[in-house]
Amino acid sequence: MATEPVTTLKTSEIPAGTIVAADVRGTRIAVANVGGNYYAFDDACTHEQCSLTEMGELAGTTVTCTCHGSEFDVRTGKVLAPPATVPVKVYPTRVEGDALHIEV
Amino acid sequence: MAKSYVIVGGSLAGATAAITLREEDAEVSVTLIGAEREPPYERPPLSKAYLRGDVPFAKSLVRPAAFYLEHRIETMFGIRATRIDVARRVVELEDGRRVPFDVLLIATGGRNRRFSIPGSELEGIYSLRTVEDADRIRAEMIPGRRVVVVGMGFIGSEVAASLRQKDLDVLAIEPAKTPLFRVLGEAVGQRIADLHGAHGVRTIFEDTVAAFEGTQRVARVITKGGLRLDCDFVVAGIGVEPVVEILDGTGVHVDNGVVVDQYCQTNVPGIYAAGDVANHYHPVFERQMRVEHWHNAVKQGAAAARNMLGKGVPYDEIHWFWSDQYDANLQYAGFHTKWEQLVVRGRLDSGSFLAFYINDGRIDAVVGLNRPKDVRRAIPLIKARRKLNLGLLQDESIDLRSLTAAD
Repeated sequence: MATEPVTTLKTSEIPAGTIVAADVRGTRIAVANVGGNYYAFDDACTHEQCSLTEMGELAGTTVTCTCHGSEFDVRTGKVLAPPATVPVKVYPTRVEGDALHIEV
Repeated sequence: MAKSYVIVGGSLAGATAAITLREEDAEVSVTLIGAEREPPYERPPLSKAYLRGDVPFAKSLVRPAAFYLEHRIETMFGIRATRIDVARRVVELEDGRRVPFDVLLIATGGRNRRFSIPGSELEGIYSLRTVEDADRIRAEMIPGRRVVVVGMGFIGSEVAASLRQKDLDVLAIEPAKTPLFRVLGEAVGQRIADLHGAHGVRTIFEDTVAAFEGTQRVARVITKGGLRLDCDFVVAGIGVEPVVEILDGTGVHVDNGVVVDQYCQTNVPGIYAAGDVANHYHPVFERQMRVEHWHNAVKQGAAAARNMLGKGVPYDEIHWFWSDQYDANLQYAGFHTKWEQLVVRGRLDSGSFLAFYINDGRIDAVVGLNRPKDVRRAIPLIKARRKLNLGLLQDESIDLRSLTAAD
């Protein structure tokens, strides 16, 4: 399936070290700002679907879902700590000026 | 020949140790022996999502069944290890097989305490530890049926919540003043009681079960206080005891579980323990402790494996656990048995608060209701063992992360 970049956020809306939710065609996607690099991934934790925007604690490139402690690498979606076993889906991002494009 | 690492206990701790051994060393021989038929699985869903029928069992497996063969972990599931011959360094199995080891991990976990009161042999009285236990309870879960839950510790409270969520008529009886009274105290325990009350669980506190009545099958619970509670079935969560019989005659020190040092090693060199069964020395709290929770099974299982390989890494994880009941998320971090002060952030009656258990000006533990981020942010404060300005803990305008460096 071809991907299509969607712009829903301005980079100025995503302070460094935080995670902000974006609505991409009805799907809630989380965007993390790690030192000026933007990483997009599914907002729902793969363990019990807690919102990573609301419950996620970002430290470097690791997001911890504080509901039950699962950890993911925001760059790849890889599980770094259980109880989650399934990676979180990640999406490419691209910055143009102040606009953040997410390819879904 | 490659060294032989044997793990007794197909538990979360045992499986995590086996996986870690293989991850850290491609050469050693790893054998995992478990009394349960199933490959190792996680128990938290058994009282919650699995009990309610919301997730399949396969989702609870620590690894898919094929993983172990693919990673050259030899497995013996559905078979009990009965004895350890320390002199010959051999584990004996119930079918007579003998499994030699160079390094051994005990991860046998716990077993549920049972009633020794009249009528406890009747049908329809359950406890919950294994997936078979959960399946037996599920078979009884028909909306409208009357269940008596005995004991409102974590398992009893979670089971009461799940049964209520499936529209059963739930009555819970607990000897203390509130649920989780011994761990969390009255003020916090009362909030858990309120939560259950708001969801329609009827509760009886400060009374205990004296007998069960019925012909063949339980029909009534009789309490010491003289109550006669009609019911269709009973689920009991009255505590766990460590499974240590296999250590009889080995010289391994057993006292409230298998006593291990901060490297997860027993007094017998080359024999280690992890998980629910391990009474471990915690270097942060400078005392022995035994913890029966998911997070300890994962972290200590991995730590034991690394130390079995000679890495010499102290196990100093701050213990942490969660308990989901209805739509509430309860979390705890640290370790405490008593407390001089309870410092509350937020309001206890608000449905979202943190309560810090303080001794000598230091945080020993924290419990949070619907405050998962704050519980996580409090962990470095617990680990630091420094005296804190307690007023700052109460001040909601202060981010707990900012207190880590301050005093």
